[in-house]
Amino acid sequence: MIGFLQPLALLGLLAASIPPILHLLARRLPPVVPFPAVRYLSETERRQSRRLKLRNLLLLLLRTFLIALIALAASRPIARAPWGGSHEPSAVAVVLDNSLSSGAVVDGRRVLDVLVDQGRHVFDRASDEDRVWLVLADGLPRQVSLPEARSVLDTLSPWPVRLNLSAAVRAVSGAMRDDPSPAHEVVVLSDLQATAFASGSDRDAPADRRVLAWAPPTLELNRGVDSVRVQPAVWSPAGEVIASLGGSDPSPTAVRLTVTDRDIARSVGGRDDRVVLAGSMAQSGWFVATVKLDPDELRVDDTRTLAIRSAPPGAAAADPGAGAFLVEALEVLRQSGRIRDGRGLLFSDQIGLGVSVVFPPEDPALIGALNRGLSGRGIPWQFGPVVEGEWQVSGDVGPAVGSDVYRRRRLEGDGVVLGTAGDEPWIVREGNVVLVGSRMEVGWTALPVDAAFVPFLDFMVNRIGAAPSWIVPAFPGEVREVPAAARSLAVHGTPVPIPGDRRVVAPVERGVYFLEDVDGDTIGAIEVNHDPRETDLQQAPSRIVESTFGGDVQLLSAEGLDRELFRGARRADLAGALLILALLVAVAEFGLSSAGGAARREP
Amino acid sequence: MASASRIDLLDPYEVAQLGGLEIVAEGVVEGFLAGLHRSPFRGFSVEFAEHRPYEAGDELRYVDWRMLARSDKLFVKQYEEETNLRSMIVLDASASMDWSGAERRLSKLDYAKRLTAALALVFLRQRDATGFIGFDEEVRSRVPARARRQQWWTLLRAVHNLPAGHGTAAADALRRVTGMLRRRGLVVFISDMLFDRDLALLAMQYLRHRGHQVLVFHVMDPAELFLEGPPEARFEDLETGDLISVRPRDLRVAYNETVRRAIDAWRTQCRRSGIAYHHVLTDAPFGYVLRRATARRARLG
Repeated sequence: MIGFLQPLALLGLLAASIPPILHLLARRLPPVVPFPAVRYLSETERRQSRRLKLRNLLLLLLRTFLIALIALAASRPIARAPWGGSHEPSAVAVVLDNSLSSGAVVDGRRVLDVLVDQGRHVFDRASDEDRVWLVLADGLPRQVSLPEARSVLDTLSPWPVRLNLSAAVRAVSGAMRDDPSPAHEVVVLSDLQATAFASGSDRDAPADRRVLAWAPPTLELNRGVDSVRVQPAVWSPAGEVIASLGGSDPSPTAVRLTVTDRDIARSVGGRDDRVVLAGSMAQSGWFVATVKLDPDELRVDDTRTLAIRSAPPGAAAADPGAGAFLVEALEVLRQSGRIRDGRGLLFSDQIGLGVSVVFPPEDPALIGALNRGLSGRGIPWQFGPVVEGEWQVSGDVGPAVGSDVYRRRRLEGDGVVLGTAGDEPWIVREGNVVLVGSRMEVGWTALPVDAAFVPFLDFMVNRIGAAPSWIVPAFPGEVREVPAAARSLAVHGTPVPIPGDRRVVAPVERGVYFLEDVDGDTIGAIEVNHDPRETDLQQAPSRIVESTFGGDVQLLSAEGLDRELFRGARRADLAGALLILALLVAVAEFGLSSAGGAARREP
Repeated sequence: MASASRIDLLDPYEVAQLGGLEIVAEGVVEGFLAGLHRSPFRGFSVEFAEHRPYEAGDELRYVDWRMLARSDKLFVKQYEEETNLRSMIVLDASASMDWSGAERRLSKLDYAKRLTAALALVFLRQRDATGFIGFDEEVRSRVPARARRQQWWTLLRAVHNLPAGHGTAAADALRRVTGMLRRRGLVVFISDMLFDRDLALLAMQYLRHRGHQVLVFHVMDPAELFLEGPPEARFEDLETGDLISVRPRDLRVAYNETVRRAIDAWRTQCRRSGIAYHHVLTDAPFGYVLRRATARRARLG
């Protein structure tokens, strides 16, 4: 496609008709010259007539062509040409992967800095007429001006998030779809780690744009903390943190558990190890802890923060009506220090005044009184009729999950269901009262003779019986649902209200953000940490890149990127070429018109 | 300086400004003869006259080698002048001859007339019977060949009075001219040769067949060699009045080539027929042309 910078000059093309017009209309009778040797002249003219006619026709064409070329050159035509120095206004998107992995230091230079340099180069090649999109690690396409894009690059830092490259390219391709620019290009500047590409069902259709991908050298070896898990959920006061290590570095490294800048546990672990860090808290409360590895060239994934809640062992007691198995098990917990003696939590077949775990009484005649007592305390649940069968326990009931239930009273009502048996409520909670559908006896359930029975009671005392607490793991910027009791999220000491749909956008900055209830008490925390997939720096094979980005993708070197950038829209100013052509035509015209008058030979 | 007095070597136009035909012709011939180290008329007769001492410039073929052997001195043999040759100068006076390509240049006819007068004088001085025929479409003038003293003046008058013609019907005229040349001799044909070559050659070959020696002076104006003129012009044939429109620049090379080929063809075909051919430009000094003619005459003996 050809455009013109000075289209008015095309009117000059009319001048190209001057030679034919002069040829046709402006013919005049030449002067008469007496000449004796007309005999020779006639013979010459007869011999040369065909050549002269052809030559005159050629001259006419050349002169017409010459004027047309000059008029065209004056109109400054521009056309798409791969060798052109400029380009047509284009839509160009730069996907700059400033995900966590871009913080790696390779050959003394941060990968992100190398990516940013390349990004600046791309923007330097762009013109003000280009429409520019910039996609960062959050994967959101932003249409920006060139100054804005450069400004973003000036202050860019690695974000502790994972960039889904295929989704990012697809998103920006969609954003560019309605752009009228004749050429669309997506430039991917990334370390192209394999985990940045969606796989399996996550992978959608490839982008339908020309994709130019460039990747700097990356680290071969790296390690990081993939995940941590606190066990038990509430330390009283001791507990463990189980850390999973990931990455490609097989060498062992020191693993430390730090609370308020003090190491409380140390160990050694290697790639794919689960390292157990045992510690204890001298005080009760919520603590921010960090699992740290020895630093390597990618430091951001060498730490992972977590929340540890420490509380004294719960006080628990059991009425005789709760059953002998339960009384014995509590004694075991008491002796091991997992619970204290006291009536903080009462296991009983009657409704008490404090925190209670209520089992159905063995005597059916007491059910009515119990249900009336429940109603009297405003509990919306009632014990129903006995049903027998064989069910397995499921739900948020800790070690009891999977235990067999043979007999139970139906729990009828509406409220929080902690566990089910046969898809019917088996453990429910309302306030500080927990109802269990089966007695802890072998005729009702296999749990009393199961190894999980004592841990289940520990779970009941220290988790269900204790003040509730929730840990919500999240990646930076991820939307997570928080417990209904949470009313605000403490961000840098400032409570941020939680919306009614309980969906919270996790802060971008890594750390522990505590959830607070209506009274301002801490009931849990959002642990914001890096995506463990960022630890694996292995580059994706080219076939993966090509299949993800589509057929029109090129994996390029820096020189290749420079060469291919805007190639589809490059254009050349043809004025120079036309003038050269006009010069050649003029030379040809001069040569042709002067031919026949040059040589002289004496007879 | 010898050349300063030798008007035979001057520009013909300048020479023509000196006076009438006779003055020019005499001046040219005198100058021409003075430039020779020996008489062009001695040496090509058969009657021996005397010996004289050798001088620088004498031709070696006239050295008497026997005298050299006997006396050890160089003598050259001299012969009596003698004539038994009839020369007929045939001058083309057609319209095409009455043309000059430049203001300060003799027309072909004027040049040819002066050349005729000079040649006639040279021939008559060696006692050749010399005649003249002028023609265009017809034979316009005829002076029978004589060797009398007054012959040159008679001939000069005829040449002077010969008008420029209006056309060339060379075939008929030549046929009549050849009919007039009954006695064997030298026929000098002076023309711009702008007529049918085959017919002209046929006529001259006929003369050769009759035992004549034929000498052709192809007179041409230098402007006829190279086509010049305005960017576009209608060239008019002086004899037929035909017009032809051309751009001289377009045909310059091809025209030059045509003329060159025509001259070559004349030269080649004349040589094949035993005809002496000379191409003469009207800016060439008469002396050069006379030298060629006398050389030919010398070979005829």
